[in-house]
Amino acid sequence: MIELLASTLRLATPLIFAAMGGLFCERAGVATICLEGVMLTGAWAAATATYFTQDPYIGICAGLVAGVLTMWLHALLAVQSKADAIVSGVAVNLFATGITPLLNKIFFGGTANTPSLSLDQRLSNVPIPGLEQIPFLGPLLFDQPFLIYLGLLTPFAVAYVIYRTAFGLRILAAGDGPKALATAGVSPTRVRWMAFAVGGALASLGGTYLAISHASQFTRDMTAGRGYIALTALIFGKWKPVPTLFACLFFGFFDALQIRLQSSSIGGFSVPVQFIQMLPYVAALVLLAGFIGRAEPPLAIGKDDR
Amino acid sequence: MTAKTRRIAETKSAVGGCIFALLLGTFILAVSGENPTLLFEALSNSIFTGFGLGYTLFYATPLIFTGLSVAVCFRCGLFNIGAEGQLYMGALGILLVSLLLPNAPAIAAIPLGILSAALLGGLWGAIAGVLKAKRGSHEVIVTILLNFVALYIVNYLILYPLDDPTTQKPESLPLGAGYAMPLLSEIGLTVFDTTPVNTSLFVAIATALVIRFLLKSTPFGFEMRSVGYSSSASRIAGISVGRQTILAFVISGILAGMVGLNDVQGYHHKIIEGFSPQYGFTGIAVALLARNNPVGILFAALLFGTLHNGARDLEFLSDKVTKELAYVIQAVLIAAVAAPRFGETLFGWLRRGGKKPA
Repeated sequence: MIELLASTLRLATPLIFAAMGGLFCERAGVATICLEGVMLTGAWAAATATYFTQDPYIGICAGLVAGVLTMWLHALLAVQSKADAIVSGVAVNLFATGITPLLNKIFFGGTANTPSLSLDQRLSNVPIPGLEQIPFLGPLLFDQPFLIYLGLLTPFAVAYVIYRTAFGLRILAAGDGPKALATAGVSPTRVRWMAFAVGGALASLGGTYLAISHASQFTRDMTAGRGYIALTALIFGKWKPVPTLFACLFFGFFDALQIRLQSSSIGGFSVPVQFIQMLPYVAALVLLAGFIGRAEPPLAIGKDDR
Repeated sequence: MTAKTRRIAETKSAVGGCIFALLLGTFILAVSGENPTLLFEALSNSIFTGFGLGYTLFYATPLIFTGLSVAVCFRCGLFNIGAEGQLYMGALGILLVSLLLPNAPAIAAIPLGILSAALLGGLWGAIAGVLKAKRGSHEVIVTILLNFVALYIVNYLILYPLDDPTTQKPESLPLGAGYAMPLLSEIGLTVFDTTPVNTSLFVAIATALVIRFLLKSTPFGFEMRSVGYSSSASRIAGISVGRQTILAFVISGILAGMVGLNDVQGYHHKIIEGFSPQYGFTGIAVALLARNNPVGILFAALLFGTLHNGARDLEFLSDKVTKELAYVIQAVLIAAVAAPRFGETLFGWLRRGGKKPA
């Protein structure tokens, strides 16, 4: 059971980062379905930089740079050039799906994956003194790579930034009333570029975590739809940081459950793996359809008054 | 911006996008230490040789269907990212009817295949439409999630209950012999010998014309476009927005489902795991490039088919670049079409020597 909890945390972490990144962009009034692509380039850059420098922290930085640049492609199209944000998101995702194997081929001679990292090149576990001593619970929950702790803290930091700082309030204004913001003398475009930088950086951490902490290499399309699940979590959380955190944990739990169920059987009958893998998506659909009521997106999303 | 100047700007941007995409392609080739002219060699092979053109048309056919699928929803103001899942469900429809009636003669089997592909694709599309119309769920998220669900369902079926026991490959049981769409080489076009291009190409072209008629010349199509322009105005005018939403998704699902005519009935004669190289997503690009015009989609699909085949060819010709180059080029094309102002912004900025507009 505790193992399932720990696994939930590990699988929720990339979702949390991606969803928080998406939160910045969407609260600024731009639909952002390209979290998947941002995670993917972040993951590749992090794995590659770590491989060459043998330092996971440089890997994280490389991931951040790649993530911000990828998200800024979206900004260039959807914010600066007023392209439809969904279309722009599709383009960025396609770009990321294509550019990562291409670059991988150039750097490593194959499209499938980057060379795997040894254990000491990956992000090591950081035990939390004291808590880690708790029997059973401690080693599983409080002896994790630091990105997991960071992931759990990020939503609260995001809540503070969004609701309590001038920068955050400007993002909210860019999302709900860009004209009012412009009237107040602040350019919504500029606010959005900055929100995208923060959003891209956060979402890239999701990819970085996957590549150099959760796994030991970048593999092709390793994000496997997590960017979309994160987006769904963001909608369930109604674009609010802390509820979104819980939505991510919920999806992380289903993901952990499906991995757990794959190796077990219920009453001598083993459930086909495909149906188990379907679980998180079906759960998301059912929730979307029935239990959350109408989600109200930021008002400026989908409007051409940018 | 008037309609005319916008059109000119959009056309400029699309042409500019094509040129920029080709330049980027050659640049990537050069960076990876490959002879950049290889790209043009691959692309011209894909058009000017019977063998290349056969494959290009084979890849263009499903893109006509998915392009139309995306376009119908677009016209109704909806975003269908679910063509990828719908096409797998359509393929499943063909397989199921063939397992039910394996010995149907071709004259009955081919229409049966088409109908059941349309039926299952349409039903899968309807889910998104109903959720949107009745529950207000966002269709983008819903269709993305449905893609995953459809893929897992089809994979399960073709790997377990409908698996072909005679082979280790991840494939379904074969279709009945009558279900095969004739190859073009079999109906006298010997130039396409040994290529998989088949008669579903004609079905695709006819479908495009039907959709054009439906959207342009029927009250139904008018209502659909009206919802696309303004759902609130349409509601006031007495059009049922919910009904149009559901129907748009049903039609989109039917169209995407018909991809199976080409890949399942026309070529593999069974469902192979993951047979679609993202036809559903490329369909978005096709629809955009054609600006949702059904006849334009025929040409856009041909362009993207060329690109897809060219990139595959390139992978054979070169050991340094891979077919994923096509995704990058597609992304650039989408960007260029979706952001007509991007070109203006960039050139304006350059002209002013890097200064902001006054």
